Amino acid sequence: MRWIWIDKFVEFSSKSSATAIKNVTLAEEHLHDLFPAFPIMPASLIVEGMAQTAGILVGEARNFSEKVILAKIGRATFHTLVRPGDTLVYSARIVNLSESGASISGTVRLGLEDDALLVADIELMFSHIDKNLAGAAFPEHNFVFTQQFTQLLNSYRNAANIPL
Amino acid sequence: MAMSRDEIYKKVRAILVETLGVDEEEVTPTAALREDLGAESIDYLDIAFRLEKAFTTDPAHPFKIPRGELFPENLPAVMSDERYVKDGKITPDGIVELKKRMPYSDFTEFDKAPSMESAASLMNVDTIVNYMQARLNA
Amino acid sequence: MKFNLIDRIEEVSDTRLVAVKFVSLAEEYLADHFPTFPVLPGVLMLESITQAAGWLLHRSSGFAKSMAVLKEARNIKYGTFVAPGNALRIEVDLIEKTESGGSFKAVATVNGKNAIWGRIEMAYFDLSARQRAIDSDIDRQLGEHNRQRWMLLTQPAAAPSLDMQTPARSQQ
Repeated sequence: MRWIWIDKFVEFSSKSSATAIKNVTLAEEHLHDLFPAFPIMPASLIVEGMAQTAGILVGEARNFSEKVILAKIGRATFHTLVRPGDTLVYSARIVNLSESGASISGTVRLGLEDDALLVADIELMFSHIDKNLAGAAFPEHNFVFTQQFTQLLNSYRNAANIPL
Repeated sequence: MAMSRDEIYKKVRAILVETLGVDEEEVTPTAALREDLGAESIDYLDIAFRLEKAFTTDPAHPFKIPRGELFPENLPAVMSDERYVKDGKITPDGIVELKKRMPYSDFTEFDKAPSMESAASLMNVDTIVNYMQARLNA
Repeated sequence: MKFNLIDRIEEVSDTRLVAVKFVSLAEEYLADHFPTFPVLPGVLMLESITQAAGWLLHRSSGFAKSMAVLKEARNIKYGTFVAPGNALRIEVDLIEKTESGGSFKAVATVNGKNAIWGRIEMAYFDLSARQRAIDSDIDRQLGEHNRQRWMLLTQPAAAPSLDMQTPARSQQ
């Protein structure tokens, strides 16, 4: 299982907002455990999709110089179950950003239309741990923004179909 | 912008209720943020952010709280410095340092019996209201 | 991959459940979270407390409904990182039982330090009751799956001995 819960950015306004999509597919193994008779996308992984969308938005706002770590889920409210074949659309916006961290607000919908079915409302806070976790041991280099994440942003910025 | 202390208190209370998930009744003037209301370091950032938003009247000139001005930075590092805390007791130098870092806290009770325990209650609801009053009436 | 974020249920009553999740480098996603610094993702800690609350609902109602899912998480905060080789101890307490589920206070610790804590509200229901197109047989199958998983999670800690002559460890 790869720890990447968004597939593609469809909008990215630096220091402001971002929208990413994730396709939910039966090829994802864990769906078959939760549950065998009725596969659903777990709420916790929907939160992670928002955390990754917003985390990249917050990271990019300071040129990926900070280790952006999820520190608080202010509120995550779920309105509908998500099934294989659904496309999740994560829209995140930065509410506040400082040297110490950021707070974001976002919605998750089952489609790109403004009135697409609402899956969840999520408010998160990130901490820039280099500035905050005095005493905790973690590596010096930025282990948070791996190529897996920066590649998502690059693909958005260099969007072009590659003809065969 | 002239705001009465009571108006400021009500806004601060609403923010604490929302941020810390506590009931309005639990938010009293001397309620210690960490000990009584369960605030963690991420909550201090959350509170500062919400205060900034709540007290901004002109979006062109947003109200900003500089880092460390309301909530002192790196207090754990101070508390483990031998000059300030020795054998679990706060030294005279430590008391001076605390007062320097927390100018909006009321040290009356603390001065009667300075200790690690009474230091923990220095950051309370009144501290925030005092800070906001000072900033708004400046 | 099993999406089972609880390895063992240690204590359970009608209003409280204590469980453990062991973190191992064998868990694939750790390779991505993060390379050179593997730690249990915060949302999987949320999943572990969600599952714990779900089991409490199942057990206290006698597996009355088939689906126990997260409805809302509030003021969830994170403390210490949880590294492989450690055990996450999860405690959930039922605060209020509702018609459609229940709300819980949850905390999970590693070596006595808080890793995650906060409040969650669970929705507890039968699929066929929420949507007419779904056959109640699905609920029955889910119920069966839940019961089997429950047995796995509540097995006694001491496994039977392989040696024919020696009594089982739990009997010593």
